Amino acid sequence: MKQFSRLCILIAAAIVMVAAVPVHAQSSTLNDDQRDRITANCLTIKNTLSQLRASDALLRVNRGQVYEAMKTRIMDRFNARLSNNGLDSRGLSSLAKTYDDRLTIFRTHYDEYARQLDSAIRIDCARDPDGFHLAIANARSKRTVIHEDVKRLHVLIDDYRSSVIDFKTNFQRVSQD
Amino acid sequence: MPNDEDIIPATKPESFWRDHRFLLLIIVTVIISIGLVSVSLFIYNVSGSAQLDLSRPGFQSVSSKVERNKQTQEFSTTGTVTTETIDDFVKQYDEQASRAKAVDAFNGDPLNPDALEFTDISANP
Repeated sequence: MKQFSRLCILIAAAIVMVAAVPVHAQSSTLNDDQRDRITANCLTIKNTLSQLRASDALLRVNRGQVYEAMKTRIMDRFNARLSNNGLDSRGLSSLAKTYDDRLTIFRTHYDEYARQLDSAIRIDCARDPDGFHLAIANARSKRTVIHEDVKRLHVLIDDYRSSVIDFKTNFQRVSQD
Repeated sequence: MPNDEDIIPATKPESFWRDHRFLLLIIVTVIISIGLVSVSLFIYNVSGSAQLDLSRPGFQSVSSKVERNKQTQEFSTTGTVTTETIDDFVKQYDEQASRAKAVDAFNGDPLNPDALEFTDISANP
């Protein structure tokens, strides 16, 4: 029993050590020269980040409006018209739902990114260049995720159009019969 | 006939608040206001509205650039469905889709550390 306890402790210690290695590696990616550069350019970097935060917020608001309108003013209303006429719009409704879900994910991801960028700006980069660097790296990866969301939204917009063309083809065929 | 023991004078704390009811009203009102404002700010931050609020300090430079006039025309939900209806819809859809896809938003890599953090600014005139 005692040996089993020791084994458990050893395994737990090994897990902790393995888990700690990437964190340590991540936080020590800066060399002295890079640290000095961040400290020296601290104010300039923060200004750049503030400008990026403002321009990205504007982009989010403008793009968000366009993407939202695509769903509420175009897709949903066309689906409703088909339903009102007793036509099967399940495929198109499903695509609109997928688009809406992706739009929600886009909003969430942007929110996470903006918060991360805010927290990076709040860090005193002259005192804590490593923490600052890590915060920017996190914001960078979150921004990449948003770009992926945007690309997926564009693909879904194309998919919906293709489905409408398919619907039209079927509609014409059924009308002729 | 009440005797002298039945006549008990009001206790001091009660008389104090009775005499300062207006002050009490002000204090309670301020406490409620602080509570409501705290809840509002909490919701404002948690809901993500704060991230989209371009009237915040630091965002005024871009707040005037919000696209307000480009209203998307709504597709009618009423009426029959014909081939022409679908063609009209596709035309309207294409217009909106081209607007949506006009900008490859959040592309590029402005947070690349090589460009953002490690560029020697003093070396660049």
